[in-house]
Amino acid sequence: MDLIQNLELEILELREMLKNKEEDLREAKRNKFSKSYDNVIGTKSNINIGNIPKWAIERYSRQILLPDIGVMGQEKLMSSKVLIVGAGGLGCPASVYLAGAGIGEIGIVDYDTVDISNIHRQILHTESDWCKSKAKSAAESLRRINSNIKVTPYTIEFKPENAVQIASNYDLIIDCTDNVPTRYMLSDLSIITKVPLISGSALKMEGQLTIYGYRESRNEKSSGPCYRCLFPTPPPAAAVGSCSANGVAGPVPGAIGSLQALEAIKLLVGRNRENLLVGRMLIFDGEDMTFRTVKLRPKNPKCESCSDHATIKQLTNYEVLCKMQSKEKDLDLNILPQSHRISATELSKSLNTQRHLLIDVRSEAEYNMCHLEDSVNYPLEQLYGEKFDLLVENIKNNDNVIFICRRGNDSQIAADKILKVLPDAKIKDLSGGLHAWAEQVDRRFPIY
Amino acid sequence: MENSLNIHIHFGGGAELLFDKIKKHVVELPAARKYFPDTDIEKWRIKELLQWIKDNLLKERPELFLQGDSVRPGILVLINDADWELFGELEYELQNNDEITFISTLHGG
Repeated sequence: MDLIQNLELEILELREMLKNKEEDLREAKRNKFSKSYDNVIGTKSNINIGNIPKWAIERYSRQILLPDIGVMGQEKLMSSKVLIVGAGGLGCPASVYLAGAGIGEIGIVDYDTVDISNIHRQILHTESDWCKSKAKSAAESLRRINSNIKVTPYTIEFKPENAVQIASNYDLIIDCTDNVPTRYMLSDLSIITKVPLISGSALKMEGQLTIYGYRESRNEKSSGPCYRCLFPTPPPAAAVGSCSANGVAGPVPGAIGSLQALEAIKLLVGRNRENLLVGRMLIFDGEDMTFRTVKLRPKNPKCESCSDHATIKQLTNYEVLCKMQSKEKDLDLNILPQSHRISATELSKSLNTQRHLLIDVRSEAEYNMCHLEDSVNYPLEQLYGEKFDLLVENIKNNDNVIFICRRGNDSQIAADKILKVLPDAKIKDLSGGLHAWAEQVDRRFPIY
Repeated sequence: MENSLNIHIHFGGGAELLFDKIKKHVVELPAARKYFPDTDIEKWRIKELLQWIKDNLLKERPELFLQGDSVRPGILVLINDADWELFGELEYELQNNDEITFISTLHGG
């Protein structure tokens, strides 16, 4: 134990030392590069290197060679400021390419910390960043990729109260978020601040990408649709999936995030709207490897957010608007009364003395990954029709029924459904779900 | 069959979960008059197609696909890869070999 602790401490110190050395090196490089630039300008030279410094030509030559970018484009990239909201599966690859391309300033927002389950897709974070702020971890990685750009991590929750002030400093917003309320907020934010929005999303094997609130310049009206033009009404919560509940293949957000960066580069260098995903949406399906670009509706002339008759002039409460939470982890339902709930510790004791019917309502994939011995799987999403009736029959003959899920929310919904038809059923819900079981009873159970 | 139509129906973005997890369906619609015998409906529009999908393809939780007589918010409907709004939404009259796509928008990242 002492050995482990000592090593951990030593590594922490070394890492801190390394970080400081890296910062020194960056500073030294910055000084040297700016001096060598001055030297070239200062002396009479017969070398014509255009408007960007020598080091920038050397560093960015491969993209400057492209007619789409060129020296002019590179200059624009180097004076651009891009705000990336979300340092996750999309934000990591998007920001890697933008940092590599030499975007002058990158802001990266994320309130969350790195979890081991993030690393298969969130490529800026490593095992040693575990529990670290995602925004900081991403910023450190980006600085290692390019020490010539400015990177600002925002380790805060992006909210209506702070979003306008932050976003106003940027030329472009990249939506790399993971939830519905924040997506509505970013769309309104893009219209209010007149900053275009490149919106990407990914789940399971599929991804989607488009540009909202496109305008030729800040002085002009937006000419492409906004998120609300397409989706004036938020979807029902039951229809919304998440990476932590439904899964995602790492390369899928990888592909979409990379393409977000490409659209950002094109937009910043001034490619015209016909060449950008304005009024068009890219739909990627990794299952059969198809990319489709579909035509979207134009701007809605009656849109609440972006039309001439807009009624939305400031940001509002998006969790209320969407009737869902932006942070999945915080969801803590209290549907059932205490009499129908049981703690993990109590359940563990009770299992030693009595027979129970343990009903696990997670998806089949989750159940196959790990479950309690002797539990049976009735996924919540299939609890209707025949399967529901079957479960009701099963429960009727049982005095000890326990509903189980990952965090103790879905199990309450399922138990509640049964109690509506069998009000006297002997049903309890495992409070806090399998996570509580892992913490209080058996640490060998995986917390995923 | 006289007046029958071949239609490609495509579900994606998770909408396929309501349809036995099958993303691509090729269907033959009978003559509208035969399918809706007690009405004066003579042509297949998207409106009628939604009814047919509900009767024949939809396996579970119809409220996650339909709302009122249209699709629920958050599903993008495409007619041959273009937003249905460009073609009159529910009123669009189906043509032989049309591809109608229902894509649920994704929010993950």
